[in-house]
Amino acid sequence: MTWEFLLGQFATQFGLWWVIWPAILLGIIVGILPGFSPQNTLIMLLPLTLAVPVEVALAFMIALYCANHLAGGIPAILVKIPGSGGAAATTLDGYPMTQKGQAQQALVLCFTASVFGGLITTLATLALLPWLSQIGLYLRSVEMVVIMLFGLTLIAVIAARDLLKGLIAGFFGLLIGVIGTDHVYNTPRATMGFLELYDGVPLVPALIGLFAISEALVMIEEKLIVDSKGRQRAMRAQWTDTLDGLRMSLERWWHIVWTGFVGLFIGIVPGAGASIASFVAYQQSRMWSKRPELYGTGIPEGVIAPESANNGVTSGTLVPTLALGVPGGSTAAVMMIVLQYHGMVMGPRLFSTNPEVAYGVFVSMAVAYIFMMFTILPLARYMSRIVLIETTYLVPIIILVTIVAAFGERQYVFDMGLALVFGVIGYIAHKTNYHVTAILIGVILGPLFEQYLVRSLRISEGDLMILFSSPIANTLWGLLALSLVLPFWRGWRQRKAQAEAFNEEW
Amino acid sequence: MSSNRESWSKTPLGADLVIPGLALAFAVYFFFSIADLAWEAKANGVLIGTVLVVLIGIQCVRIVVELAGGKADLGFDRVLKPRDALPKRLGMVLLTVVFIAALPWLGLTLDLLLAMAAGLYLMGARKPSHIVWTTLGVAACAYLMFIAFLDSDVPRGPIEKLISILF
Repeated sequence: MTWEFLLGQFATQFGLWWVIWPAILLGIIVGILPGFSPQNTLIMLLPLTLAVPVEVALAFMIALYCANHLAGGIPAILVKIPGSGGAAATTLDGYPMTQKGQAQQALVLCFTASVFGGLITTLATLALLPWLSQIGLYLRSVEMVVIMLFGLTLIAVIAARDLLKGLIAGFFGLLIGVIGTDHVYNTPRATMGFLELYDGVPLVPALIGLFAISEALVMIEEKLIVDSKGRQRAMRAQWTDTLDGLRMSLERWWHIVWTGFVGLFIGIVPGAGASIASFVAYQQSRMWSKRPELYGTGIPEGVIAPESANNGVTSGTLVPTLALGVPGGSTAAVMMIVLQYHGMVMGPRLFSTNPEVAYGVFVSMAVAYIFMMFTILPLARYMSRIVLIETTYLVPIIILVTIVAAFGERQYVFDMGLALVFGVIGYIAHKTNYHVTAILIGVILGPLFEQYLVRSLRISEGDLMILFSSPIANTLWGLLALSLVLPFWRGWRQRKAQAEAFNEEW
Repeated sequence: MSSNRESWSKTPLGADLVIPGLALAFAVYFFFSIADLAWEAKANGVLIGTVLVVLIGIQCVRIVVELAGGKADLGFDRVLKPRDALPKRLGMVLLTVVFIAALPWLGLTLDLLLAMAAGLYLMGARKPSHIVWTTLGVAACAYLMFIAFLDSDVPRGPIEKLISILF
């Protein structure tokens, strides 16, 4: 790959602006609405993508996919409704920022973290593609068990204020996640006789219920979702707030970079996705922070980490798709179908037979992120005004529209009822301080954790020592132990320093 | 007077038992449902369920200690308060149940039109123009997104049939 080739690719992709802009706008709309996934949208648009030249189809699909990942954070920040599982962790600090009257800054942080996290990891993927494609081969079920545990430890982190309640919520979520047929014999477990639960608890109704509906039921108590101070700030929202958000992002550029790489590495593993990446990135961000106690109160790092990781996943997912012919996710699988229809053979040979497609995918992604920055950033000021809409109007719209959106993923009316059940559970959990995010982490990560654990144990015929059988897994175990011990060690050092300062004073 | 003050200062912990109660009931049902399965199918669930039951036990002990110490009672104020929001909250839940139940007969657009109008009225909106425009806007967006654009399998009703005849 020469510089001349690369520059030519960038020029070609910039020339496709006429297809990238509409795809970005469509991706944003689809991303904002919970229940609409990029893969479903791409499947519905297959007749279009199959009819146009391959480079146009790729530019369209990639731009829609990236915009979708970015847009999920918008409702997560404004009304605590994540547009997708990957944006669920964004609610932890994004929504408190909105409640403090900093919606515009939070949106700008979300956009810049998404765009630059996505852009940097895309460029890194372009440069390191041959090596990155090997990572997926080294991360097997044993290593994935430990990666899942990184995400699951977030339950304990979230539960810091009331450990017992947080753990009950997390384990309740994990048990809900076990509903459905098992991974070996396909025998149903705890499905209550519903065929609709044989595939497990669907994520979208759980997400909509636990976040959107439960939050709407809480919103009823107030006239606005922000207090009077926040209302004043929202009414006075100026372009300077956008600049303030940009300043916050620039000050935390390193945070964007490293959490983006967390997303990239997790995205490379087939089956792992944005939900896991964003929770792991948030957990790691908090673990290594000098002020972990502020996480969850509305701080910029809490928005940057999940959003950057969420978009780092986009390029990571496509690495095994192109390099190995193994789709890294469902959207990547749809893209693979389109590419194969156009005569491309996935795998290492793609880079020699069709380099303009293999590398063009990532160039297209980089260009889409650049376009996205200019499309979405000016909208932050206007989007932040949603907090000024009275709950009299907001509550019925949120409840009824998201209930309809629950239908979108699997097209079952059953899922709408399920979302309402999760909404009531979420409301009670919210009011009694059993953290809904802890329940959701269990629902998301529980099935994946079981899948990898059972696969490992099947290989070892039930011997748990397989979990410590590879150097990579052991390194990950070490890092996991370190990230768990670090906060306690830091707390001990702080207490010691305070005690010494107190003794010196007296 | 002093006894009144004492009762006011008690923490209402009855609602704190709802989530553990649900979790415990589900865990028991789960154990029954997997009793005859192979170890691969139940290993993870048994591990999670057992830890959950232990955690719930500790939470119950904690609440009993609070009750015995006179610091708490079994009130449900945390979930029910503020009382003036309760009718709206229950009304919205009930409205959603009716909305889901009526969907196969009324179709998405008409069902959403009626439910939105009822929801806005329930929440306290009284200006007819606000109710009409919000309702029409939401129903039109839902029609365009789910039926015109995505062509999803969402139930169709009289409005969808009329539009398909007209266009």
